Amino acid sequence: MVATTIKETQEKLRKGEISYKELLSGFLSRIKERNEETNALLSVMEKQSEKIKNVSSELPLYGAVFAIKDNILIKGESCTAGSKLLEHYRAPFDATVIEKIRRNGGVFIGKANMDEFAMGSSSENSAFGEIRNPYDLEKVPGGSSGGCAVAVKDGMCNAALGSDTGGSIRQPAAFCGVVGFKPTYGTVSRYGVISMASSFDQVGPFANSVEDAQLIFETIRGKDEKDSVTSNFEKKEAPKSIKVGIPEEYFVEGMEKEVEDAIKEAISKIEKNDIEVVNVNLPHTEYALPAYEIIMASEVSANMARYDGIRYGLEFDRPAAKSIEEAYLKNRGGGFGKEARRRIILGTYTLSAGYYDAYYIKAQKVRNLIASDFSDAFKKVDVILAPATPTLPFNIGEKVEDPLSMHLSDIFTVTSNLAGLPALSIPCGERKGLPVGMQVIGDRFNEDILFHVSKKLEKIWKK
Amino acid sequence: MIEKREIEKLAFLSRIRLDNKDAKEIREDLESILGYVQKLKNVNTEDVEPLFHFPELKNVVREDKPCTVNRETQKEMMRMGKDKDDYLKVESIL
Repeated sequence: MVATTIKETQEKLRKGEISYKELLSGFLSRIKERNEETNALLSVMEKQSEKIKNVSSELPLYGAVFAIKDNILIKGESCTAGSKLLEHYRAPFDATVIEKIRRNGGVFIGKANMDEFAMGSSSENSAFGEIRNPYDLEKVPGGSSGGCAVAVKDGMCNAALGSDTGGSIRQPAAFCGVVGFKPTYGTVSRYGVISMASSFDQVGPFANSVEDAQLIFETIRGKDEKDSVTSNFEKKEAPKSIKVGIPEEYFVEGMEKEVEDAIKEAISKIEKNDIEVVNVNLPHTEYALPAYEIIMASEVSANMARYDGIRYGLEFDRPAAKSIEEAYLKNRGGGFGKEARRRIILGTYTLSAGYYDAYYIKAQKVRNLIASDFSDAFKKVDVILAPATPTLPFNIGEKVEDPLSMHLSDIFTVTSNLAGLPALSIPCGERKGLPVGMQVIGDRFNEDILFHVSKKLEKIWKK
Repeated sequence: MIEKREIEKLAFLSRIRLDNKDAKEIREDLESILGYVQKLKNVNTEDVEPLFHFPELKNVVREDKPCTVNRETQKEMMRMGKDKDDYLKVESIL
């Protein structure tokens, strides 16, 4: 693995050690060498890359070469969202985040493989084959943005954009030993991003350092008239002394011994570095995943309705379908993979008359309690630390037959989506030759403080 | 817990065709997930409002008026379906 940072690349370009052309051809040859094994990228933008001769060194993303999750639209490129339904779809416009990266000097090298419509925690649900973890090809890279995490770790690019609905950036970042960041809900535009669960979805960066993740975030954030819930926010002063909170509710039964051990060791290291560590309580934590399951499935069932084979999706064979209903049934039954079908049907159930109050409304009330837990905790601390995942990367095939155990992979990440909080995953140690990720969770719109603390923590854990 | 008939109804409402094997598997999966989420019943939510969205985020609205799509975008869209003159031809849905 030959991971590099944007900052390192910029240095090399400025010193004239490499040219832009060499930079891009270096990544392209790495992709040729490795992509067959890991299946991280679904398409490679080779021709487009060859056209790029130079980029102004004044631009913030000078030297940044991106893999883009295949649910984000780049004009003229295919955009499958990992689904057979969109196999032949081509994006008619650029997503706002793509436009912003372009304007700031970033370039694109490929579209990254993912779980179908971002539904999954292992990247085994792609219609175009599973993705493999570069640490151990028999292990999953996490999901749903598995391709982004692998590409950044394995030196196919030095940056990526993914999306996070319940942990889809942070969990694969943890499994692949890279930095992954989910911003505050409403800070980054989702115009041109294929929706999964709209009250949770956020776009965010993958990078090989916290500094790079911040750099990318600064260029993509901001209000966009085309995303109905985006907002600008004010800069926050970094605190003089740092207080981090450890929620005991995150150290639960079912967490792998190795992960618990690595997390505790990482926490003990920061205590020696003049950072105050205190305990905080998030009493409703155990109800986060059940609430998430219900709200997510409900929103999925609504968002997936558009893939009917008429507006989007497979084109059905009209003579074989006797009615429009039969055509829908056939298209969607054959087009969606197992996990997508499961979630659509579950969401249809939780939204149906008679169950709506008991499931959907109840879950939204619990969501409020979870958000209040965090608000209370952030009165006492600047950031909260928690494990990113309960286990080390697991074996390919290990959990596909048991959806509940698969969903439990997200038990520590869904809370930030429910409460709309910004959260980073940073590599904090290794066990059995596999990486362990620590989550650093901040208060809403407090990205500045979150990055300030995270850079210090990254330095401590790198030693 | 969930009857076979109920799964068939949900699948139809979702417009997803399932064969018998799929229906059986999905029924088992749903039972396991619905069993797991039952623990929400233990939470006292009296006087708690549902959190559908965050109060500081305001919806963006604009006047609904027709606009022209540039020729290039239009051509790109046309590639996705059968076109007839300047229109996209789709199956009748009524």
